[in-house]
Amino acid sequence: MDFALNEEQRGWQMEARKFAEEEIRPLSLSRDQIANPKDTFDWEIIKKGSKLGFRTLAVPKEWGGHEADFVTQALVMAELARGDSSVSKTFSQCWKWSHLIAASCSKDQKERFLKPFMADDSFVLGKGGTEANAGSDNRMPPDNDPKAGWKLRAERPKAGWKLRAERRGDEWILNGTKMFIANGSVAKLFFVDARTDPEVNIREGSTMFMIPNDTPGFRVGKVFNKRGWRFYQNGELIFENARVPHANVVGEVNGGVKARATDKSEFGDIELAANALGICDDAVGMAMHFARNHKRAGKLVIDHQLVQLKLNEMYMLTEALRSFVLRAAWERDRKLPDYGNNVLVMNYSQEVVQRVTRANMDIHGPEGAMMNARVDKLVRDAMIWTHLAGDTVQRVKIVKRLPLTLPT
Amino acid sequence: MYDLQLTPEQIEFRDAVRDFVNREVKPVATDPARLEPFEKPLLTDLLDQASQMGLRGLGLPEDAGGAGADTLTTCMLLEELAAGDVDLAVVLGETALLAREVLGTAMNPAQRAHWLPLFEGEDRFHIALIARDAGAGRGWSYHQTLPLDADEADAPELAATRDGKAWVLNGTAPFVANAPVAGLFVVQAKVSGGEGTVTVLLAQAAQGLSVGEFLQPFAGKGERVRWHHGAVAPVTLKNCRVAEEDVLAADAAHRMLHAGIAGRHMVQMAAINIGVARAAYEAAIDYAKMRWQGGRHIIEHQAIGMKLADVAIQIEAARSLTWKAAWVTDHPEAVADRSINDLPWPVVARSFTAEALHRATLEAAECFGAMAVMRDMPLQKYAHDTLVLRHSADCDLASPLVVAETVAGYTR
Repeated sequence: MDFALNEEQRGWQMEARKFAEEEIRPLSLSRDQIANPKDTFDWEIIKKGSKLGFRTLAVPKEWGGHEADFVTQALVMAELARGDSSVSKTFSQCWKWSHLIAASCSKDQKERFLKPFMADDSFVLGKGGTEANAGSDNRMPPDNDPKAGWKLRAERPKAGWKLRAERRGDEWILNGTKMFIANGSVAKLFFVDARTDPEVNIREGSTMFMIPNDTPGFRVGKVFNKRGWRFYQNGELIFENARVPHANVVGEVNGGVKARATDKSEFGDIELAANALGICDDAVGMAMHFARNHKRAGKLVIDHQLVQLKLNEMYMLTEALRSFVLRAAWERDRKLPDYGNNVLVMNYSQEVVQRVTRANMDIHGPEGAMMNARVDKLVRDAMIWTHLAGDTVQRVKIVKRLPLTLPT
Repeated sequence: MYDLQLTPEQIEFRDAVRDFVNREVKPVATDPARLEPFEKPLLTDLLDQASQMGLRGLGLPEDAGGAGADTLTTCMLLEELAAGDVDLAVVLGETALLAREVLGTAMNPAQRAHWLPLFEGEDRFHIALIARDAGAGRGWSYHQTLPLDADEADAPELAATRDGKAWVLNGTAPFVANAPVAGLFVVQAKVSGGEGTVTVLLAQAAQGLSVGEFLQPFAGKGERVRWHHGAVAPVTLKNCRVAEEDVLAADAAHRMLHAGIAGRHMVQMAAINIGVARAAYEAAIDYAKMRWQGGRHIIEHQAIGMKLADVAIQIEAARSLTWKAAWVTDHPEAVADRSINDLPWPVVARSFTAEALHRATLEAAECFGAMAVMRDMPLQKYAHDTLVLRHSADCDLASPLVVAETVAGYTR
């Protein structure tokens, strides 16, 4: 058994730690505190990070990327998130969809999209699935309701997205709206799921399209104003007779769900857990610093048992999460049988990130009628985990993938 | 004897406040135009309307023109108000409590004759208290009057200097609840060069008294955020002269600060906390019956059902404790004759409520999926409000220790 990182992994980790400390952290709070959600984004930090390789970390070497393994990706995400969770997510969102391009796109599509993505430090990727009445139903369509998603025009809303795509010659005409789309107002290219056969469910009747942000008939609507992750842009994508060439279909027509399944989707859950780990590291650092440098009731805060109990809890949970995140990433790198650890670690991270950030607030406490702004920010960022990758009710569906007995 | 039957008057008053909240407060408080901005100015028109309903003078004895409500009734009504807007409830709760304790009890007849007409004459006449924290120096606790970055030992104190029969007050209190809307300031100051304290009555217009602008959210180099409810501002006293007739009798002031206000304030905050959690809970029930996902309304999913059940159980448990604490506070004889065991009931109710209901509010919010964190929806605000209540002056990591000390007969 060996917990050591190799030289490359350690190198990326150190690089990310330095960038987070010197570049991300100084702007983290001021960006969080901008009232208009459209104005919280900062292109300079993206460009600087891109030049260091953080935007293209996951792209195969064949296409000029770094082809970092999952362990490296997890380490980098956690380090970046220690500076700011939502800046880290903006970078890793690009990895998620560069996995998809590499796995599912044709050579022509890679030429047209992957090359410009590699060349442009401000080329950010997004993916449009969620709609106003179709979030987790897309990710995990209900099996126990055979009618779900069948007839779009029924009087009662049914499962699945409704964005409609109709073929007209060499083009597809798209109509509808996507909600909460990550990198919505900043991405140059979106992967968008649309209904190409409204009479069947989404597994059989949806197609994935590549939508450049200058597509005619396509525009970005509102940017959502969130409690946490305020740097991260979640936007509304509006399609009004948007015209998309047939050459932009990913995989096959009516094969959208299949195309999505090739994106190394296990990445998505490890990603969120690794990001949560970065927040926990940040909280632990803040709490320890505060406890060792402030006095209450005549002694250092850390000399109070109550605080020792909290610090113990914070370190314990954070280290357990770190072990779980790296193990899940390592299992995926080795392509070991999938026992669902990548989903379990995400579910675990929700609990951990919320407890650890709350404990940090317990230790800091209010100062008069004020609160340390970063302590509050970490709690707000952690609240995002309640609904990431489907809420807890959706995530329990992992049960279907769990082994009968645990592997030994 | 154990009787949980409310009187017809209590039910009627509660229904009236609930109706006011549903009709007038909720549409304003949950309007995205108010929810989205960081800045939440006090809803002063609604505050005045609530005053006209008698909520400002809730605790004032009937012979003084108030409703003569006991602490339990006050808690029931504050819960209703807080389900609409937590800031309204905090401001009115503070004024109602101080009206009861200062106007109703601590003032002498001459003082009451002067201040009561002023209080009754204007809907927006509120009361603010500037007092030394009774728990200061007891142990690890955070203090409302503690300035940023200060240690407990450095807490500033207002000083009163004798000048003939009058007193001259100097000093600054950095965080004073109700200061922006107060017509009357009740100020406790340390006697300069002497023993003890003196408690005086000051009009808002008193010479030498100035109410500052409160720090905006994210002000102060961005490193601290505003963390309170209601209306808070710093108050500075500069050579503020107080005539003898505006000084409260020492024993009355002591009773008011220690027996009258401290415990009741804590119980009221617990009731307000319940109101906030209830707003989240009721929103979640409505949404769970409406939202269709996974082939059914989400309320039919067991995982959502368990969440809502847990929220309901936590709210009821918190209300039972809070009502008990409210009742005991008004009936110390029930502890004296051993009907009820001797615990610091306000601390018990406040600590349990704050922790349980922050968790419950997050559970209710979770039913909304991503909508829970959107600032144009109220769920994120309820989560934030319960977090502020969990971490504020009379409730922090260390506050439940008072319970341990009571059962052990030990004082820090």
